[in-house]
Amino acid sequence: MTETGSAGVAVAENAAAAPTRRSFVNWLAVGWLAFAAGVGAFVTTMARFLFPNVLFEPPSSFKAGYPADYQVGEVDERWKEKYQIWVVRNTEMIYALITVCTHLGCIPNWLPAQNKFKCPCHGSGYYRSGINFEGPTPRPLERAAISISPDDGQIFIDKARKFLYEKGQWTDPAAFIKTT
Amino acid sequence: MSLERHWKKIQQQVVETQIWKSIFRVGIPNTNRKRVLAMLGNVVLHLHPVKTRKSGVKMRYTWCAGGMTFFLFLTLTFTGLLLMFYYRPTIEYAYGDMLDLREQVPFGIMREMHRWGAHAMVISVWIHMFRVFMTGSYKPPREFNWNVGVVLLVLTLLLSFTGYLLPWDQLAIWAITVGSNMARATPLAGNEGPFAAQLAVNGVNLVTAGSDARFGLLGGRIVGANALLRFYVLHCVFIPLVAAFLMAVHFWRVRKDGGISGPL
Amino acid sequence: MNGLKSFINWLASPAIAVTLSMLSLVGAMFYKPIWTKKGGLVLFATLVGGFAFSFTDPNFRIVATMPDNVPILGMLFLVGFFFWYAMYQAHLNDARLSVGLPPLEKDDSDKKVFSWPDLVYVELVSLIICSIVLIVWSIVLKAPLEEPANPGAAPNPAKAPWYFLGLQELLVYFDPWMAGVVLPTLIIVGLMAIPYIDTNPRGNGYFSFRERKWEIVMFCFGFIILWVVLIILGTFLRGPNWNFFGPYEYWDPNKLVPLNNVSVSEIFWVKWLKTALPTFWLKRELPGILLVLFYLGALPGLLGKTLFRRFYEKMGMVRFFVGVNLFLIMFAVPIKMYLRWIFNLKYIVNIQEFSFNI
Ligand code: HEM
Ligand code: FES
Repeated sequence: MTETGSAGVAVAENAAAAPTRRSFVNWLAVGWLAFAAGVGAFVTTMARFLFPNVLFEPPSSFKAGYPADYQVGEVDERWKEKYQIWVVRNTEMIYALITVCTHLGCIPNWLPAQNKFKCPCHGSGYYRSGINFEGPTPRPLERAAISISPDDGQIFIDKARKFLYEKGQWTDPAAFIKTT
Repeated sequence: MSLERHWKKIQQQVVETQIWKSIFRVGIPNTNRKRVLAMLGNVVLHLHPVKTRKSGVKMRYTWCAGGMTFFLFLTLTFTGLLLMFYYRPTIEYAYGDMLDLREQVPFGIMREMHRWGAHAMVISVWIHMFRVFMTGSYKPPREFNWNVGVVLLVLTLLLSFTGYLLPWDQLAIWAITVGSNMARATPLAGNEGPFAAQLAVNGVNLVTAGSDARFGLLGGRIVGANALLRFYVLHCVFIPLVAAFLMAVHFWRVRKDGGISGPL
Repeated sequence: MNGLKSFINWLASPAIAVTLSMLSLVGAMFYKPIWTKKGGLVLFATLVGGFAFSFTDPNFRIVATMPDNVPILGMLFLVGFFFWYAMYQAHLNDARLSVGLPPLEKDDSDKKVFSWPDLVYVELVSLIICSIVLIVWSIVLKAPLEEPANPGAAPNPAKAPWYFLGLQELLVYFDPWMAGVVLPTLIIVGLMAIPYIDTNPRGNGYFSFRERKWEIVMFCFGFIILWVVLIILGTFLRGPNWNFFGPYEYWDPNKLVPLNNVSVSEIFWVKWLKTALPTFWLKRELPGILLVLFYLGALPGLLGKTLFRRFYEKMGMVRFFVGVNLFLIMFAVPIKMYLRWIFNLKYIVNIQEFSFNI
């Protein structure tokens, strides 16, 4: 308080009772900060609320029969509707392609005559290996983990583990079953 | 007595009953004073000013496109409410309820009115925006109201989009799959978006299919039960409330900005 | 007849259809005779005639009468009509303005009328007409309901709701983060910016073309070409596998259209310099990055100094740069489309490492 003159005494008296201007400003700052922190915390909890911890979505792994069930040189569509997986067998290996277009998630169709997967949504095309060659998609299809189950010799496919070509993961031993 | 005189007489009698008078204080607005009072005394009409610029009243100027949009919004609110009596937003029931709405409900055109009304509303918002642009009505002092309008336009499209999922048929699920997958491509916040893979701590990605923008929108990795419920709530409660509030602001500002625009 | 139909099919292919509609839109806006009653009638008759002719074609009929496509036909006529109507009134006013008279609206705008009955009755009548149309429409046309949802099989073609088909069409040319996130955001931002960028005080509160040519041409370009025309393309001309089909073509799911696309980096390093692609992303993508930086960084300044000097002086720096960048981004859309059609170009910048593709 810097006021002077005849009113000075009265001001000083008041100041003793009330907080000084500086301490008032400090309290104000603390108050606002606390308020902002409170709002921030509330917004965060609200945002977190949108992300559930438990999901009730279909299981991501399944047993897919025996390797002998699959013909060499064929793209097998039997698991497409149920588990969104194509099982492809060539002369060397069996691999599992996830049937979800890497563009925006439609389900491409296997066109045997043209020897390619073609997406109905925006026309992305993939070779049988899963590598993209046309349309708007930026990258190849993903492959799922595939292995021979030790207990019964069936093929075991786990969609939760994905292998991406562009990261060099298709050579990972868990990404295919060697047949020769 | 001619038919017209009969009619006049009945009208006279109705207007003079105590019931009528208790509702409509002013009676038939046949004098200027009564016209003013009619506008002021009615909560709905009171949206309008008592007097309007003659150019603003003309169809050739506003095409009544904004009014039409508002009317369609009201129609949709009402028909939507009726649909809510039968529709259950779960994967087990949604599609079946749609079939029932079509086949088992008397006067089953509510779904039609709701769907076609929604399309009509989208079209009429565009036409309204086009008219506002072509008359230069966004220019000062109406900049802010134009912006309120843009938000309303977005809300209208979002209302239509969230409603599209509810029938739970092939059209619905794939349109929403493709549409919501775009959220996956949001820079930084979507797991396929630019630079999202670079957000990692000790080699563990922070933004994954289970934690990205799309997951927050759908409440799951796929368009499934959570997504259906969320879209239902957004469609029936949240977006209509926000839109209704903004419409109130919009209409208020039309008046406060000097009424329907006209040459200065 | 078949010759004519295949000619129209050819005209409707995206490159030609977009080019033609751009040219005819801009051309028409400056061609006065269209914006008279007679011009409107001719336009209307052409449109109706075109549809009547097309409806004799079975393939066209299948697509045009799908229930969800009916509103688009309605939109087409309504947008067409109101576009003509706005321009018609604008030209009436322009004729008055050019001889020093005030616009038509001026006569009325000085007078005020009582809202009851003048306004309330207009509204009541619109409301009743609207209800009747909606009810009749609902009785005549059943709302579509397809097979129950099946996450394992997408319909072919799988389409977004019709009002987003313009954006879906952009997905063919841009990566999802551009077409699905950046461009829609910029559309909204751009619309919101209009009243603040446009400093032209004239043409406020009445229809007029000559007083705001630039604004109107730009807005209609965005609205009619980049929104409505792309919707029509996406609705009527995109069939199975998102292949293009002419209006009279059968939607053959086995139609084969090779689409082998290349990126700027491949053109630059492999085709021009005849070397392998550099492995380091920055070096590999430098040509594309420079192109983008030039387009968004240097071009606005250059335009401000040369072609758009007048705007720069009138609008001031901030307005000019915001406006010109929005303008350039809007034109980036057709530019990228043309690059695809002519050079099969897929990406200008293609940094897979960061999923950053332009
Ligand atoms: C749900 C959507 C909307 C509703 C219900 C609505 C309703 C209305 C109504 C009833 C009017 C009175 C004049 C008329 O009927 O034309 C009006 C005026 C106006 N609207 Fe909207 N509108 C909506 C969306 C929009 C949009 C998308 C824009 C622009 C982007 C917009 C901008 C304006 C402006 C600037 C005015 C003042 C026009 C003038 O004074 O001439 N509105 N609106
Ligand atoms: S989702 Fe497959 S091409 Fe777009």
